[in-house]
Amino acid sequence: MSAAASGATVPAVEEAVRRTFGAAAEASKPWKLAGGAVHDSWAVDATVNGASHELVVRVSPGGRSDHEKTIREFKVLQAMWDRGVLVPQPFVAEESEATGESYLVMARVSGESNPRKLTTDAGLGSARKNLVTELARQLAIIHTVMPGDVNAPGMRGPEPGEDPLAYQRRQVEADYHTFWLNPHPAVEWAFRWIDRKLERFNEPGRRACVIHGDLRVGNIMYDENGLTSILDWEGVHVGEPEEELAWFCTRVWRFARPDLEAGGVASREEWIQAYEQASERSIDRDRFAAWEVLQNIRWAEITMMQARAHLDGQNRSHELAAIGRRTAETELEILRLTGVVERVTNAG
Amino acid sequence: MQDRPNASELLEALGEFMRDRSENARDRWERFQFIVAANSIGILKREFELEDEFMRAEWQGLDDLIGPEPIPDGQHRFAERLQERNNELVQAIKAGTFDDGPAEDRLVRHLYETVVNKVRIASPNEAPASAAQ
Repeated sequence: MSAAASGATVPAVEEAVRRTFGAAAEASKPWKLAGGAVHDSWAVDATVNGASHELVVRVSPGGRSDHEKTIREFKVLQAMWDRGVLVPQPFVAEESEATGESYLVMARVSGESNPRKLTTDAGLGSARKNLVTELARQLAIIHTVMPGDVNAPGMRGPEPGEDPLAYQRRQVEADYHTFWLNPHPAVEWAFRWIDRKLERFNEPGRRACVIHGDLRVGNIMYDENGLTSILDWEGVHVGEPEEELAWFCTRVWRFARPDLEAGGVASREEWIQAYEQASERSIDRDRFAAWEVLQNIRWAEITMMQARAHLDGQNRSHELAAIGRRTAETELEILRLTGVVERVTNAG
Repeated sequence: MQDRPNASELLEALGEFMRDRSENARDRWERFQFIVAANSIGILKREFELEDEFMRAEWQGLDDLIGPEPIPDGQHRFAERLQERNNELVQAIKAGTFDDGPAEDRLVRHLYETVVNKVRIASPNEAPASAAQ
């Protein structure tokens, strides 16, 4: 049963409720929501002076260096909530006195989060259309936030004056050398392809902003009218809009609709134009293309990292092992995006 | 030589078992686990049938790019040396050996063919309908 594994966090959830609403607050029995690999999220209802509050308490295991991450996410959520961005209202981020775990208390948001359903359900046609416009509008607000505005610890990003693409290119290659399990000539060539682009449009003075960092259809909530909330800000860092828009287009996040490049809900061009309209900024298509290649390399690295977690014995799982074989389809996407497929097919 | 069923037939039987279990699973988690397991069995079956030919094609592609070399005896040594030669190719890419047009044309054709062959084994639904020829 799961009780033994998860029981330890129930005291943290109860403590979190009292920390948020005072000692008189009464907490319902918490129930576990479908969680991620690192955190457990619990739903709990708090009753204070007769008023009921629907909450989510996300608990990160103790003994990890997760507290800074929790505080970072909390500060960013606060900054976004203050600006009217569709995020769960954040209440408290603390370390549990009882268990040492880190917790983040947020309002529970209504809506659906199943990305496959979003990309396929015939009844969600207008939700998809509204979602693209609304998400672009939300991003336009998010990207006006500067790193200095949030005062969050450990926000990684480009060195002063460094082009955000050059910075992320550096990061992604460092990660590649950490995670690779066997040589990938296609990935190495793609780095070189990006470098040639960078030589042409390296812009050291380019403006960097706060970005969500992991924006994809699996990290949002929606209902039949469209977007209801943007969740999971763990990947937040300093970057640029093109980076965010391109991650949303990576092939793995299109679910049942690989033909609709933007998250399986819109074409790439519709997505970029929706953002341009909402933000009144123009997106350099050539630069976007370089970002899309880099972001697919990043996904390829995640497949390597997951296979490695299994192979190293850190988390033995046939599922993680199988993900290692998804590197190849990502390499194929990289070859598509760099024009290789067209080049080879036409050369005859 | 082993008796029938051969390896391919045994893997097929295992795959059918996993698929059947996924259809009759107790919950979504278990269903997903059996689908993943069935897919991995499919990978093994295709790899068993196709990988030898694909490794030889990859070796030949490397011969054209970094110089010819006879295939070593023994499957283990073959795989080991193929990996070493891929590292040599990576070093040549980084050194700029394939930066000019015609050399890069030869390189990207090899990259395409080897990646497509990996995809044919690992995720055949993602593979292009026919190889570029």
